[in-house]
Amino acid sequence: METVTLTIDGQPITVAKGRTVLQAAIEAGVSVPYYCYHPGISIDGSCRVCVVKIEKMPKLQTSCSTLCADGMVVSTREPDVVDARAGVFEFLLANHPLDCPVCDKGGECPLQDFSYTFGPADSRMDFPRRVFDGEGVKADVDFGPTLMLNRNRCILCTRCVRFMKEIDDDAQIGIVDRGAGSEIATFQEQGVHSLLSGNLMDVCPVGAILTRDYRFKSRPWDNPTVVDTTCTLCSKGCNTSAWLKAKPEWAKGSRLIRMTPRYNPDVNGYWMCDIGRFNYHWVEGESRLRRPMTRNGDVLEPTAWHDLQPRLRDRLRQARGSSESAASSVQAPPVRFLVSAHASTEELFVLKQLVEGLMGSEGLNAVTLAWTTSDKAQPAGTKFKVSRTNAPNVNGARDLGYQVGAGNEGTPDLSALRSAIESGQTAAVYVLDPGPDGSLGDTSWLIAARQNGTLPLLIVQGAVMTDLASAADFVLAGSAFVEKDALYTNDQGRVQAASRAIAPPGEARDDWSILVALGQSLGLALAYESAIDVRRALAATMPDTPYASADLLVVTRPVAARNWLQASNPSERWKWDFLYQDLPPVKGHSVQMEGISPRAAYIPLKLTE
Amino acid sequence: MDYAPAKFHKSARELAEPGGAFAYTPEHQAKFDANVKCYPPDQRRSAILFALYLAQRQQGYVTAAAMRHVAEQIGCTPAEVEDVVSYYTMFFTKPVGTYVLNVCRTLSCALRGAERVTAALSAELGITPGETDPTGTFTLIEVECLGACDRAPVVMVNDDWHECLAPEDVRRLVEDLRTRGPAALTGCHLHKEKAAEATS
Repeated sequence: METVTLTIDGQPITVAKGRTVLQAAIEAGVSVPYYCYHPGISIDGSCRVCVVKIEKMPKLQTSCSTLCADGMVVSTREPDVVDARAGVFEFLLANHPLDCPVCDKGGECPLQDFSYTFGPADSRMDFPRRVFDGEGVKADVDFGPTLMLNRNRCILCTRCVRFMKEIDDDAQIGIVDRGAGSEIATFQEQGVHSLLSGNLMDVCPVGAILTRDYRFKSRPWDNPTVVDTTCTLCSKGCNTSAWLKAKPEWAKGSRLIRMTPRYNPDVNGYWMCDIGRFNYHWVEGESRLRRPMTRNGDVLEPTAWHDLQPRLRDRLRQARGSSESAASSVQAPPVRFLVSAHASTEELFVLKQLVEGLMGSEGLNAVTLAWTTSDKAQPAGTKFKVSRTNAPNVNGARDLGYQVGAGNEGTPDLSALRSAIESGQTAAVYVLDPGPDGSLGDTSWLIAARQNGTLPLLIVQGAVMTDLASAADFVLAGSAFVEKDALYTNDQGRVQAASRAIAPPGEARDDWSILVALGQSLGLALAYESAIDVRRALAATMPDTPYASADLLVVTRPVAARNWLQASNPSERWKWDFLYQDLPPVKGHSVQMEGISPRAAYIPLKLTE
Repeated sequence: MDYAPAKFHKSARELAEPGGAFAYTPEHQAKFDANVKCYPPDQRRSAILFALYLAQRQQGYVTAAAMRHVAEQIGCTPAEVEDVVSYYTMFFTKPVGTYVLNVCRTLSCALRGAERVTAALSAELGITPGETDPTGTFTLIEVECLGACDRAPVVMVNDDWHECLAPEDVRRLVEDLRTRGPAALTGCHLHKEKAAEATS
C-alpha cells in the first residue's frame, strides 16, 4: 500500500495515499470538527468547520476535501484556525434554534458537542433568528412515513441529500430556495419513501431529521446500555446495536428502544434498512408469549414447564407409538418438524441431535425448513440491497445438513409436509419458530388440518402468539433474537453472533434449552447446560469449517454508553468501531470473528462436495 | 408503519401548481434533444436549465407536471429539478401575465429613478410588485441587476430590455403593449441597431 507521511499539529502521521487530511486527523486521534463529511458518502465541503492551516497554502483549507501529500504540515490549533472555526460555528448557530432541551438529538448531537468544544461562547447575532414556525406554518414537518423534519434545526450539511442520491440511488431530497431561505425538502412535500429512510436520522448531524419511531420516546441519558448484535429479519445479517432504556421493572413500556446500524464494511457498511430498524416492537409486544400453555378443550391455559413437560412427553410417545403400529416407514415419520429459518444454529444443532436420536440417521427427513421471501422495492442502483429472504439462517440450516433447496434465494418447499399431513399419515407436528409473526409464511392449511382433526397433535414453540400457536395443543414460550446468544449464517456464508440484550419475558426460555429438555424427557442424552456448551459441541462436530471456532465467537455483552460522544452517538459510532477498538468502552464488542482469519469467515455455501 | 399525511404537519411552503399532463411540443422536444447532446451522457443534468426554459416557454410557467416531465427527459428525479426551479428567480411556478415587467432596482437604475418607474407601473396597472393584473396581461416584478446599467433605468419585458424608461413614459409603454402586442417590444437598443442595419 502506498503511503504518505504528513505532520498534523507537530505529530508525524502516515496514512494510505488518497486519504484526506480530515481522515488522517481522525485516524491519528486529532480532534477536528466536521458535519458534511461522512465516511459512507461523498465529500461535499459545504459546512466549512473542518478548516485547517496547511503550510505554503495561501488560505485555510477544508481538511475534508484536501488530499494528504508527503511533507504536508498541517495545523489545527493555530490562532487563525481557531478563530476561523469559531466564526463558522457562529454562523452555523446564527439561525439554529438551540432548542436542545426539547430536541431528541440533545446529548448525542455533533452540533452540540463540537460547538461546546470549538465554537464561540456567545453569538453576536442581533437579528431575530430565521424560523419556519409562524402563521399556519410549522417548522416540524412531515417527512414521509418514517421521518419528521424540523427545518429550524437544519444546518444544510446535505448529508441526507447525498445519502439518498448515492446510497439509495433515488434523490428524493433536495435543497429548495436559495440563500437564507434554503431548506431541505422533497418534491411537492411528498416525503421520503425509501426502505433506507431510517439511516437519514443517523447521518443527520443535528436534530433535523428524526424517526417517528424514536421521537419523544427517550433521551440519550435514558439509554445507558447498548448491545452489539446482529439483525435477523433477513438473510443479509446487518450488524446492529440494540439500545436499552433504563427503567424500573414495573414501569410500562418496552426496554428495547431503538436499533441502529453498526459499521461492518463486509456486510452492511454504515447502514441498515427500515425493516430491521423499526420492526422490533413484536419482541416486547402484546402478542409475545410469556409462559407455556396447554390446550384444555377450546382454550389454551397457562401452565408451568414442569407440568407441561411430562404431558408433552406422553403425547409425543403416544403419537410415535400409534403410528409405529400402523406400519410407518422412514418416508412417513409419525412426528414431523416444521422449523422456521429464524431458528439459530444452536437450536438447529440441538434439533438435529434430537431427531437423529429419535429416528436414526434419517431423522433430518422429518424436518422441513420454512421461511418467506419478498421482493423489496428498491431503486435499481442502490448500494444497499436488502435480501429477498426474510430469515437469517437458511445457510446455517444448509451447513448443518438440513434440506433447504439450492441457493440462498430459494423458496421453501412445504409440499411433502403438507401432503403427509393432509393425507393423515402424520400423528404430530412440532413447530419451531422464534421469529416474528408470519415468518413461516402461510400456515392456514396447517391450522385447518389441526382443526378438522386430520392432524391429531400440534406443538408450537415460538416467540409470538400467532394464529398457528392459538390452534396448537402445546405452546412453548421461546425467545426472540435479542434475548439469546445465537449464531446465524448470513447469505454470504458468514457466521455471525446475535447477543442477549434483554432477558426472555416471564417464563419464556431459550429455545435450545426447551429442545434439550424435550430430548431428555424422551430419553436422549443431551447434556447441555448453556448456549456455549452447544457451541462447543457444534465446533467439535464441524472441524475445518467456520463453525469449528464457533465457541470462540465473541458474543457481545452490553456496552455501557458512558461517554455519549464516543460510544452512543449513532452518527459517530462508526469512528469508534473501526478506529479505536482497543479503547473502552467498545473493547472487543465489534469483533465478532475474533480468532478467526478473515478468509475463514467466509464459508462455501456447500460444505461437502 | 401506515402513512397518513393528513395526520401530520404540513409545511406551508408555496408549492408549484400541480398542473395538467405536460409534454413538450414536437418543436420543443427537438430543441431539447439537440441541446442535451452538448453534454456528456453522464452529465445530462446540465441540460436541466434549458429543459426548464423550454417548459416555461411552452406553458408560461413551470408546473409540477412539467418538472416531472423534465426529470423524465433528463433521467433524474423530480426533486433535483425542483431544486433548480426554486433556486432561479426567473422560473415561475404560478401563472404569470403575458408580459412580465421586471423592473431593475439595483444601484444604477435606482439612482436614475427605478423606484418611480415601479410606482408609475403600479399606478398604471393597479397592482403591486409581485402581482398579476386581473386580465392576466401584466405581471410586475422587482428584480436585481439586469446588466444594462449604461441605459438605466431598465425594465425587462419578457426577454427584452426596455431602456432609459422615464416614469412618464410608462403609460405609453403599457398602452403600446396593450394595443400592438409583442411588436411593441422595441425599446432595446439591440432592436434599434438591428433595424438600422436592415435599412442601411
